[in-house]
Formats: sequence, structure tokens, C-alpha cells
Amino acid sequence: MKLFQKNNRAAAALATVAMIGTPALAQDNDLKIGFAVSLTGYLAPYDTPTVEGAQIAIKELNENGGAAGQFAIEAMVRDVRSDTVQTSIVVQELIDAGADVIVLPCDDDPAIAGGLVAQDAGIPMFSTCATNASLTAAIGDFYFVNYVADIVQGATLAQFAREEGLSNAYLLVSPETTYTGNLPLYFGEVFETLGGSVVDTGTYSFGQQDFSAEVTQIASLNPQPDVIMTSAYEPDFPAFLRQLRAAGVTAAVYGSDGIDSPTTSGLGDVSEGVVFTNAGFPVEGTRLAAFFDAYAAHYDRPLSNSFAATGYDMMLVISEAIRVAGGTDGAALRDAIANTDGLEVSTGEISYLDRNRVPARSVSLNRITGGAITHVDTRVIASDLLPESK
Amino acid sequence: MSELVAQQVLNALALGGVYALLGLGLAMVFSVLGMINFAHGELMTFTGYALIFLSATLGWPFFLAVFAAFAVAAASAALIERVAFRPVRGASLTTMLLTTFAISSILHVVFQNFISPRPIAVAIPDWLTSTAQFSGLRIGMLQCISLGVTVVALIGLTVFLRFSITGLAMRAAAQDFSITRLMGIPANRVIVTAFAISGLLAGLSGFLWVAQRGSVDPLMGFVPVLKAFIAVVLGGLGSLPGAVLGGFLLGFLEVLLRAMLPSELLPFRDAISLSIIITILVLRPNGLLGRAEAVR
Repeated sequence: MKLFQKNNRAAAALATVAMIGTPALAQDNDLKIGFAVSLTGYLAPYDTPTVEGAQIAIKELNENGGAAGQFAIEAMVRDVRSDTVQTSIVVQELIDAGADVIVLPCDDDPAIAGGLVAQDAGIPMFSTCATNASLTAAIGDFYFVNYVADIVQGATLAQFAREEGLSNAYLLVSPETTYTGNLPLYFGEVFETLGGSVVDTGTYSFGQQDFSAEVTQIASLNPQPDVIMTSAYEPDFPAFLRQLRAAGVTAAVYGSDGIDSPTTSGLGDVSEGVVFTNAGFPVEGTRLAAFFDAYAAHYDRPLSNSFAATGYDMMLVISEAIRVAGGTDGAALRDAIANTDGLEVSTGEISYLDRNRVPARSVSLNRITGGAITHVDTRVIASDLLPESK
Repeated sequence: MSELVAQQVLNALALGGVYALLGLGLAMVFSVLGMINFAHGELMTFTGYALIFLSATLGWPFFLAVFAAFAVAAASAALIERVAFRPVRGASLTTMLLTTFAISSILHVVFQNFISPRPIAVAIPDWLTSTAQFSGLRIGMLQCISLGVTVVALIGLTVFLRFSITGLAMRAAAQDFSITRLMGIPANRVIVTAFAISGLLAGLSGFLWVAQRGSVDPLMGFVPVLKAFIAVVLGGLGSLPGAVLGGFLLGFLEVLLRAMLPSELLPFRDAISLSIIITILVLRPNGLLGRAEAVR
């Protein structure tokens, strides 16, 4: 028995040495990504696919030796339940666990709460899909926007609407989030810059379901708008669209990536002709189509929107930045990400250089035709057309 | 102009009808147990998922799937009562209230992890979302059905409560549950029936709600249960006709404010409608049709 204990002690001592030994090694060859994301709650529909996409990139990169071919990537995924306070707690935990890069939830409030903690620690971070460009100022110089920013989507849609010959716009906003409140206004601003005019702006509340009052008003507008732009998403968008068409309004309807969902195309006749932007459309033969296939093979179910692709892209950006920075030092990594220029990713090209940490990335314009999403164009908007972020 | 007003009144009636159904569901359980069931909205979500499963996955005809979904809602309400509420029945009101919140949260997580965090589209037949024109007024099929279903449900419920033994027992239980039990009425039967009816009403309103939004998502029950709660408090807690009146009043307030407020005040319309409701409650603290002694 005694002997046993001795042996045990020796083993424990050995283990301790090994444990002290490994972190030193790990620091050199490990890249720890701390995902403080929402696997439950209202942000789960957006954070979950983004993390899934990132996991595919991590698997692929690790099969080739890790980030930049030499840093084995470890994903630490924690659920913040779409909760602001929980996000800041989890970010602190992840930093304590040695995270080199932090990934934040898809909405402004939790992203700011967690972001300020990571900013203090000097750790570069991305939000899965918070699209408010002003977060770079609210959080600080370690924060990078990952998804297509609101200003970019608004400007792209406005440019396209003008190209389609539409000249009178009605905007439907909800002040409840910056996304639903400001994106249509960015659209309106660029639409007017390009010679169009905004005839009226209406508001709605999340989950109001009943749009009869708004729709009755739109139907009585004079002049009638020829395009209605909104960033409403489910369940508001389908309800609004149905009631709008039922009221006999035939104006074109433009939306943003919030309606990039099978529900929209599944609405039947009412959704015919709806135009919306997202981060990418899997045109056959492109890298994005290959990613959609890889996703389906990895998760054994088809991918139905582009969030996963931007999660994948985010990992490619990080891997490239590690290569440039030559290590995981926070400040060096931040500078390397900020200098990313024309990096090839699954959705096209991405550049952070001279864009104040809001990426220039391809935006896909799509139209619903015959119950299916069809690709219209993929473009990178010129930065001089971008409105000021509110 | 008068056409516009008539149209908005029609809109308000249809919305009020859905709120009334929702409110009735909450009031049903409250009148017997004195508890607001905040998991009521999740019964609507159940209805939606059942509808998708039966019509899309199993390929049942739409109508059959709808009626089966109602049955699922009623059965799940009774099941929730058996599993979650019966064990805490004697406990304080706070415990019961917390239990309803717990059920609601557990169901959210179950829906998100075992079904999908993303909304799932429901194929709604085109005729259901079609509209008809009557001398300048547009009447949606769904609006007509909302109104029709509300009226039928109200009449059915009134007949049940007035003329059946269980209905009589439930009305008695609403007045004084202890005395009712002393009269030999089995408590479990009354309570399970109240939950089943409440579930059926959640099923009806859940179907109307889903038909309008076109998709089911795990968290969709939250807003409607909040509206129903407002309707019930406005009408008077414990009063079934009050819940209906409260529902219609809330629907009218919402639609009329949205239609009449100038655009710069529109973002404040929920605040304004709730302020009006608070004013009513200050003047009538027990709600419009509430009785002071109904508070137990």
C-alpha cells in the first residue's frame, strides 16, 4: 500500500511537471479561439451557424498543421444565452482560459458588453454578425466587424434600386434595434443621393404581427411608392409582406439579410420579386458553392443561409493575420487583421485595410423568383457611396 | 376617408379577436387556480410545430393537421398540469408563478435544441391568406376566420359553462374552490378540464398567429402571452367576459393608435397604449369587469 502511495506521488509529481511544461509549449504553438456566443436565446439562429462555419474552417486548417500551417487551433465554445451580462462574464472566463481571439454574439448590446472586457485585455475580437459599424468606436481598436455592415447593405440596395429605375421609396423601420432602425435609413440616404426620393417612413414593433394599419396607410399614399424597403425579418417580414400584397400594393419590396431564410421563399406568390442582400450566394463552381457542399457533408444537413460562410471566412482572416504577425500577440494580431487586403475567402474578397475595421466584402443581391432564391449580382460597393454610420 | 376608417375598424376587430382568444385561455386557468400561466404562449408554439410535423412531415391533409394540432395543444396543456403544476398545487402563488416561468424556459430550450433555433416555414394554403373586396373594403380570409373563431369559441364556452355539470363546477370553483370541493366536486377533474380548454384556446389562437406569420420559431409564444396578460388584467382578473372585452379593447387601441398617430409619435405608440390602459386601471383597479372579491 505504501509503495503504491509513493508511486502515486511520483506519478503526480511527473504529471505536475508535465502540466507546467505544456502551457509553455502550448503558448508557442496554440491558437485559442474563445467563442462567447449564443447557442440559445434569440440570437441562436445567427450565432449557431456562424460557429458551425468556423468549426469547418478550424477542422480544415488543423488538418493542414493549424492556423498559418503551424498554430494548432483550439475552439472554446461557451453559451452566453443571448444575454448581455452573461457575455461579459463568459468573455472574462475565456480570457482567463487563455483565449487569443474572442468571438462575440450577433447583437450590439452583448457584443459591446463582452467587447469592452476583451478590449481591456488587448485581445482582438469579432462579432459573429453584429452589423453596426459604430461598434468599432463603442468598443475600441481591437474590435472588428465580421459580417456585411448595415451601411454596406443599405448602400448596395439603394444603388441597385436606382439601377432598376425605381424612384419613390417608402421605408419601414423599427427603432428596437440599430439594424431594423438604421439600415432602411442608410438605404434612403443613398437612394436620395442617387436621385431618388423617400415619400414616407413608417414604424413597426417586433412581433406585432398585425400590419393592417401600416398597410392601409401605404395603400393610400399619393404618390404610390415604387419600392418599399425594410430590414424587418421573421416573423414581422412575412406578416407584413402578406398583408401588403393582400391590400393590393404592387411596389417592389427590398429587404436585407435578415430575410435570408427558407420562410421567405416559401411564402408563395406574395414573395415573388422580393430583392434582398446577403453575404454571398452559392453560384455553381464558386468557392462558396464548395463551402455549402462541405457544410452539408460535415453536418449532414443542407446549409440554408450565408451566416456559416462568414464564420468560415472569419477563421481564414485570423489564420492569415497569424501568418503575418508570426504569433498570437494581441497587438500584432490586431495590426495584421487591420492590414488585411484583398484576402480570398469563401464569399469572395475581404479587405480591412483603410476601412476603420469595417470590412469591404462582397455583397450578393438576390431575388426571389418562382419560390426560389436566384442570384442577381455580387458586388463590392465603392467606399465613397457609404453613408456615415449612425 | 370613411372607407379608411371602416377598414381600420375592421382591422381592429380582427386583431382584437385574436387577443380575446388569447386572453380567454389565460383567464380560464386563472379563474380556477388564481394563477397566470406564462407557459401559455408555448402551447401556441406546440400547435405550430404539431401543424408542421403533421402536414409537412407526415403529409396529412391541411385541415386534418390543423384539428389534430388543436388536440395536441389541449393534451399538452393537460399534461403540463399533471407533470408540473399538480405537484406544487398547494404551494404559494409565487411558487406556482415561478413554475410557469420555468416550464416556459425549459420548453424554449427544448424547442431550440431538439427542433431548430431557426424559424421553420409553414405552408399555408393560398386561399387562407386571400382577400375579398366589398365596396372598397378589403376583408382578409384570415381576418374573417379570426372573427368567426372568436365568436364560435365564446358561444361554445358560454354554453359549456352554463349548461354542463363540469362547467357549473368550474364556475363554482372560480367563486370558491374549497367550498366546491366540499360539495363533492373532484378538484383534479375541474383543473384538468380548465387546462385542456385553455390549451384548446391556445391552439386556436396559435393557428391564427402562425397562419399570419408563416413560420414557427422557439420563442414565438412570448409576445402573444404578454398581450393576453394585458387583456386579462384590463378586463378584470378572473372574469371570462372581461378577458374578451380586454382583448378587443387592446386590439382597438393598437390599431387606432397606429393609424392615427402622426409619424413622429409612432415609435411611442406602445407606450401611449399602455399609458391609456394604466389610466383605466387607476380608475378601475379591478379591471373593467373585475369584482373586488374575485381576488383570492
